[in-house]
Amino acid sequence: MRRILIIDDEDDIREVAALSLEATAGWEIMTASSGADGIQAAANGKPHAILMDVMMPGMDGPTTFRQMQLNPETAGIPVLLLTAKVQGVDQRRFADLGVAGVLFKPFDPLTLALQISQTLGWND
Amino acid sequence: MTALPSIAFSLLLLSVFLLGVLTLRLASRTRDQQRELERLNDALRRSRELAEQQQTKLAQRSTLDTVKDEFISTVSHELRTPLTSIRGALGLLTSGMLGEIEPKAQNLLRIASSNTERLIRLINDILDLERMESGRDSLKLRRSSILDLAREAIDTITPMADNAGIRLDLNCAAPRDAIYFDADPDRILQVLTNLLSNAIKFSPSGSTVWVQIHSDVNSLLLKVIDQGRGIPPDKLETVFGRFQQVEAADSSKKGGTGLGLAICRSIVQQHGGAIWAQPNRGGPGTTLWVQLSRSARSSDSTSPEQTTMPVTERGDGLVLVCDDDGSIREVVAEQLRQQGYDILQAGSGEEAISIARQQIARAAGLVNDDRSARPIAAILLDLHMPGLTGWETLERLRESPTTAAIPVIILSVSPPSERMQPQGLAQGWVQKPFNEKLLLAELHRVLISSSGAGQVLLVEQDQQTANVLLSGLREAGVRVDHAATLQQAVDRCLLGAPELMVLDMNLPDGDGFSLVDWMKRQPTLSDVPMVVYSGRELTDAEIQRLRLGPTQLLNKAKVRPKQVEDMVLMMVQRRPETAAVA
Repeated sequence: MRRILIIDDEDDIREVAALSLEATAGWEIMTASSGADGIQAAANGKPHAILMDVMMPGMDGPTTFRQMQLNPETAGIPVLLLTAKVQGVDQRRFADLGVAGVLFKPFDPLTLALQISQTLGWND
Repeated sequence: MTALPSIAFSLLLLSVFLLGVLTLRLASRTRDQQRELERLNDALRRSRELAEQQQTKLAQRSTLDTVKDEFISTVSHELRTPLTSIRGALGLLTSGMLGEIEPKAQNLLRIASSNTERLIRLINDILDLERMESGRDSLKLRRSSILDLAREAIDTITPMADNAGIRLDLNCAAPRDAIYFDADPDRILQVLTNLLSNAIKFSPSGSTVWVQIHSDVNSLLLKVIDQGRGIPPDKLETVFGRFQQVEAADSSKKGGTGLGLAICRSIVQQHGGAIWAQPNRGGPGTTLWVQLSRSARSSDSTSPEQTTMPVTERGDGLVLVCDDDGSIREVVAEQLRQQGYDILQAGSGEEAISIARQQIARAAGLVNDDRSARPIAAILLDLHMPGLTGWETLERLRESPTTAAIPVIILSVSPPSERMQPQGLAQGWVQKPFNEKLLLAELHRVLISSSGAGQVLLVEQDQQTANVLLSGLREAGVRVDHAATLQQAVDRCLLGAPELMVLDMNLPDGDGFSLVDWMKRQPTLSDVPMVVYSGRELTDAEIQRLRLGPTQLLNKAKVRPKQVEDMVLMMVQRRPETAAVA
């Protein structure tokens, strides 16, 4: 069974996204409400993928991603950014980071799992 | 002996007088020069001040743009965040995945869901429109096929059409090599998808939405035709405004945002094209027209003023309009007259043939200044007429040697795809109800292709100078075209490379360097011989930059029109292909 870590400072979005992935794909979900907690959770829980918000107080998504890349325990985990920023300039900035993919808010709760699978090339 | 001193005295007086006059004149000339210098200094100071003001304004605008950009980006982010939770929660509930919901509650959830979707579309559209109108999100142009884009749009929208019970039909009347144009394919796809989605929304079930593609030498024309309820005449233009739907209830009933056509127009205009709506003649429904330039001239320029419609050149020539419907004849005649054409009218095929023959006879005994005695440059011909039909008229015109060469443009309710004509009978086709721009473009195209473009292109913004050079060169038997702007010069060059270009460095919408730089990038134009004349001495580096083929430089201040003419004649005659013809 796939295990996914959701990092987002918005409680409601974490809950909805978790419910959506559990209900539609049956995945096991871990959550964290900040970048720092997220790094800890990723190192301990070894998820198959991380779904992470971009704009968070404290450490934002891109910074958290860079930190994870420096840590051998988390460097290999694919990270998908989930963002409400849709302008071309933001998208190009994210693409340059080297993340596995960028998904957009508001997402469709019924196809979110499918989008993640397709982006990461999962066939199960 | 007394005479001598008096002569000497007179001579002395005369020299003093002459010296005085000379001094006075010198003094007055110095004063004139002084004044001129002051005037120039003044002008220089004013222009410096103006430049500084412009600089400040530009800097202010750039700051303002940044602030606005950040604001829009932030607002959009702040709206999307709560919408993410709402959409997610509603979506999961509506799906029934979390348990059965009774029908009444289900209906309320459906209402909440569909309005959430509408709000999301609205935010996306506002962001889209703002981004485009600010001009900061530039087009990513590449050579694209309008036919492929239309097919892609139809594929995307087919599920929606199937749901609504509407058939989609694609018809391309443009030749295979004329479907390519410079475009941002994603943006054009957005326009086509939007137009199709509109057409489907407002069409009755069981009807058809047609997509038709036509082309002429400079542009592509795409029509989306529906059989829906139509747009009232007073709303044909306002539907392209923001939040301007035909009926106030449309946004809630049809789920639109009221920004779709505004976005379409913005995208099309960014491409240097035009979009407009027309009611279908003699039936319900509307036709949406999209005209797109085949080469991206606007993108070559940094000036935002250049993203306008290509300039239609003024017409010149005698055109015979043949239609049995007097009111159509009059409308066509008036539109052509306004463009500078002279008009003859015929109410039947028989009359058209007779007028064409008479005109040849009149032109043979030509009185130079009588514009009405010129040969007919083109005939606009209706197909469905009592007596001789259009086709029969056309055949008779072609049979007679005196009228065989007159170009004919068919003006018919039938689309050109249905033309059953023997090849080469007609040179052009305009479908009724016709659009004025299309009619003029088609006539212009036919006239140019039948006369053959000129050998020499004169690029000169000053009409008087141009007239002097044009008449001089034409008298010498050289075919010359004239462009008064950078844009017109580019338009003319796209029809085919001139044998020689005469270039004035000063143009109202750019300078000679921009034109030459553009030509360097065109394979067929990169070695055109030039006669360049400039108002000032050019530096060596500038001269090097202007060189394509053999190049002659003239200083405008020192050269007379006759010398420019001689230079042109010498250079044209030196060209081997011209020598062979001569």
